[in-house]
Amino acid sequence: MANSKKPGGLREMLESMYSVIALLFILVACVELCDAAAAFDVYRLIQYDRSGSPFGSRFAALNHHAASLHFPPGVDLSRTVLIIPLRELNITFVREYINQKKPLGGFLVLLPEVLSFKTGGNNQVHEKEKMKNLLAELERLLIHSNIPYPVYFAFENDEIDTVLADIKKNDLMGQPATATTGGYKFVIPTAEPKKVASPTMTNIQGWLSGLKTDGDANQLPTIAIVASYDTFGAAPALSVGSDSNGSGIVALLEISRLFSLLYSNPKTRGRYNLLFGLTSGGPYNYNGTQKWLRSFDQRLRESIDYAICLNSIGSWDNELWIHVSKPPENAYIKQIFEGLSNVAEELDLKVGLKHKKINISNPRVAWEHEQFSRLRVTAATLSELSVTPELLESTGGLFDTRQYVNETAIVRGVKLVAESLARHIYGHQGKNIQIFADESSLAVNPAYIRSWLDVLSQTPRVAPFLSKDDPFVMALKKELAGHVDQVNVQHETLEGIFTFYDSTSARLNIYQVASVTFDLLLLLVLGSYLIVLFSFLVITTRGLDDLISLFRRPPSRKLKTA
Amino acid sequence: MTMFHFFNCAILTFGPHAVYYSATPLSEYDTLGTSVKAALVYLGTALVKLVCLATVLKVSENDGFDPYQELLKAVIGFIDVAGLYFALTQLIHRNISQNHKFQAVGLGWAFADSVLHRLAPLWVGARGLEFTWDFILQGLEANANLVLSISLAALGSLMWLRKNKPKTLIPIIYTCAGIVATMPSITSYLRRGLGWDFPKVVVFELFTSLSMAFISWQLFSACQRPS
Repeated sequence: MANSKKPGGLREMLESMYSVIALLFILVACVELCDAAAAFDVYRLIQYDRSGSPFGSRFAALNHHAASLHFPPGVDLSRTVLIIPLRELNITFVREYINQKKPLGGFLVLLPEVLSFKTGGNNQVHEKEKMKNLLAELERLLIHSNIPYPVYFAFENDEIDTVLADIKKNDLMGQPATATTGGYKFVIPTAEPKKVASPTMTNIQGWLSGLKTDGDANQLPTIAIVASYDTFGAAPALSVGSDSNGSGIVALLEISRLFSLLYSNPKTRGRYNLLFGLTSGGPYNYNGTQKWLRSFDQRLRESIDYAICLNSIGSWDNELWIHVSKPPENAYIKQIFEGLSNVAEELDLKVGLKHKKINISNPRVAWEHEQFSRLRVTAATLSELSVTPELLESTGGLFDTRQYVNETAIVRGVKLVAESLARHIYGHQGKNIQIFADESSLAVNPAYIRSWLDVLSQTPRVAPFLSKDDPFVMALKKELAGHVDQVNVQHETLEGIFTFYDSTSARLNIYQVASVTFDLLLLLVLGSYLIVLFSFLVITTRGLDDLISLFRRPPSRKLKTA
Repeated sequence: MTMFHFFNCAILTFGPHAVYYSATPLSEYDTLGTSVKAALVYLGTALVKLVCLATVLKVSENDGFDPYQELLKAVIGFIDVAGLYFALTQLIHRNISQNHKFQAVGLGWAFADSVLHRLAPLWVGARGLEFTWDFILQGLEANANLVLSISLAALGSLMWLRKNKPKTLIPIIYTCAGIVATMPSITSYLRRGLGWDFPKVVVFELFTSLSMAFISWQLFSACQRPS
C-alpha cells in the first residue's frame, strides 16, 4: 500500500507544482524580452529603382551573427553580417563581393565618429583628402549596384569598438559565430521597405519687387538667383550636403537679406525685380527647376534678364567657375562674365568660363542653368566644380559634412555675386564702388552664414523623404519670407524614372549569445546534479536499500501477484 | 534556444526543492500541506517586512554600504525568524514527527523565497537572446538558500519545540541560529561593503550553507540522543 501511495504522492506534488508554475507563466505572458547588450542607431543604404532597374540595398531587416574581416577563408557567410570600420575598408574587396554576387547576410560599415553630425561636432578630420576619396568611391560603388542584402552605416563609438575587438578575437581563433558556437548576434527589427507613394518636391520662390516709376509702361526686368536645396547620397539619413548644396542655399539667403536691406528704402530700390528660387529635385536632372519654370507666366519668363544658379561654393580656394550653355561670344554671356570678373579681380580671386552645349534630346541635365537655357532664358551656374558631375554625383554624399566646408569661401562667393548684381542693377559697371563693403551696414554677415550652415549640416534633405509640410522646408520658407515681399510655395510630384523606398534608419541591437551546445552541456550537468542529489538524499534519509528498491519495484510486484 | 536556457535555469532553481520532497520520507507522509502553509506564512512575513522597510529606510543615492541602514535591515530580518516561529509552533500540523515537520516547513519556506525573488527575473531575463551567467549563479544561490532555510528550521525546532535539551548545547544552538538568521545581511555587506562580485558571493553562500547544515545536523542528532 505504501508502494502505491509513493508514486501517487509524488505525481500529485509535481502536478500541483506544474499548475502553479503554469499559472505564473500565463500571468506574466506579456512581458517583453529584455534589452540587448548594446543598441545603436544605424542608417540604411538607399534603395531606389531607376527606369525599373533596382539599385541599392534591397533588404532592411537583419538577424544574423557577426563576423569581422578576419573571418577564416572558405567559411559560408550567407548568414553572417560583415562589420568593417572605414579605416580597414578595401574598395577592391567590396567591389569583388558585390560584382561577383557572393552571398552575404549583411554589411555594416563603421564611419569615423568625427563625421557624425550629431556627436562629431566640429573636430578636425585627419587625412581629409584620403577619407574623402575613399568615401566617394565607396558611395559610387554602392549607389550603382544592386545589393541583395541589407547594408547599413553606423558611427564608431567605444561600445561598438569593444564589440568589434571581441569579434575579431573570436574570428582569429578560428571560431566564426554561428548557432552552435556562440558569439554576437546583430538584430535589426524593421519591416519590409515599401515604396514611397508619391514623393513631393517643394519649390520655394521669393519675389522682391523693383521700383516702378510712373512712365514705366512695361514690366520691370527681372534677375533670378536660384539654388537647389535637396540632396542625395548613399545613406539618405546622413545626406546633409553641407557643400552640395548647403553652401548655395546659405549664399542665396544672405544675398536675399542684403538686397532686402537695399530694397526696403524706396530711394535705394533698384529698377530690377529680384526672383529667388530654392528648388528641389536637383539630383534628378533638376526636375523641380524644370517644373517651376514651366509654371511661369510667359510674360514673367520673358522679363528675366538672366539667372545665376549657385551650386557648391563652399570649399574653394581661389578659383570659381561659371558654367554656361550659350556660346561665350553671346553678348549677354559676355556681360555676365565681365561683371563677375571685374568684381573678382577686386576681391583677389579668379573666375573661369566653361561652356557646355546642351543636347535637347538627351534627358540628362547636369547643371541647373541648362533648364533655363532649354526655355531660352540666359543663365549661368557659379560653382567650384570645374568638371561636370555625373548623375547622382556631387549631390551631398557621405563625405559632404560640415568639416569640409569653409565659411570664408562662402562669404567671398556672396560678396562676388552680390556686388556684381548690384553693379548691374544700379548701373555702376566698371566703376570701383563697393556697395557691400566690410564694416558697413551692408556687409556680408559671417555669423548668419555660419549659423545657417550649421543648421543645414544637421538636416538630411533627400527630397522623397521630405513631406509636404516638412518643418525644415517651412523654416526655409519663413526665412525667405522675412527678406522678400512675397513668397510662394509650389508642390510637385517627383515622377519620372526614379522610384524610392523608405526605411532609411533603424536601431541595431547587439546580443551576446551562447551556443546551443552550451545549453545542452548545462542540461546534462544539471540532470546529473539532480540525480546525484536525489540519490544522496534517499541514501541518507531512507537508506541504501530504499534506493535500490526504487529500481526493483516492478519485478517485486509481479512476484507478489504470482 | 533561449527558452532552453530558461528551462535549464528554472530546473536549477526549483528542481532541488522537488527532488528534496520526493527523495526524503516527506513524500511518504504527505507533508505537502505543511509546506504550502509554510509558504503562505513566508508570503505574509515578506509583506510585513516590506511595509517595515518602506517606513524605516530612506533611499540612498550611492550603492555603498551604510552601516546604520544595514543594521536596521538586519533587525527587520528578524521578522523572518518570527515568521518561522509562527510556522513551526502556531500552525496546526497533522501528526507528523518533529523530524519531518521542520524539514517540510524549511522546504516550503525556501520554495516561496525562490519563487518570490527569483522567478520574475528568470522569466524576464533568461528568455532573451542576451546571455549572462547571472541566472545560473542565481540558481546556485537558490540551492544554498534551501540548505540554509532547512538548517534554520532545524535550529528553530530545536529552540522552540524540543523541551529537554542538554544545557551545554543551548548557547551553541542560539548562536548558530543567530548566524543563520543574519546571513542575508552578511551577504549584502559582502556585496556592497567589500565589493565582492556575484560569483564570489555565491561560492561563499554555498560554503557557509553546507557548513551550517552540517553543524545543525550534528546539534540535532546530539539533542536526539537522550530521547
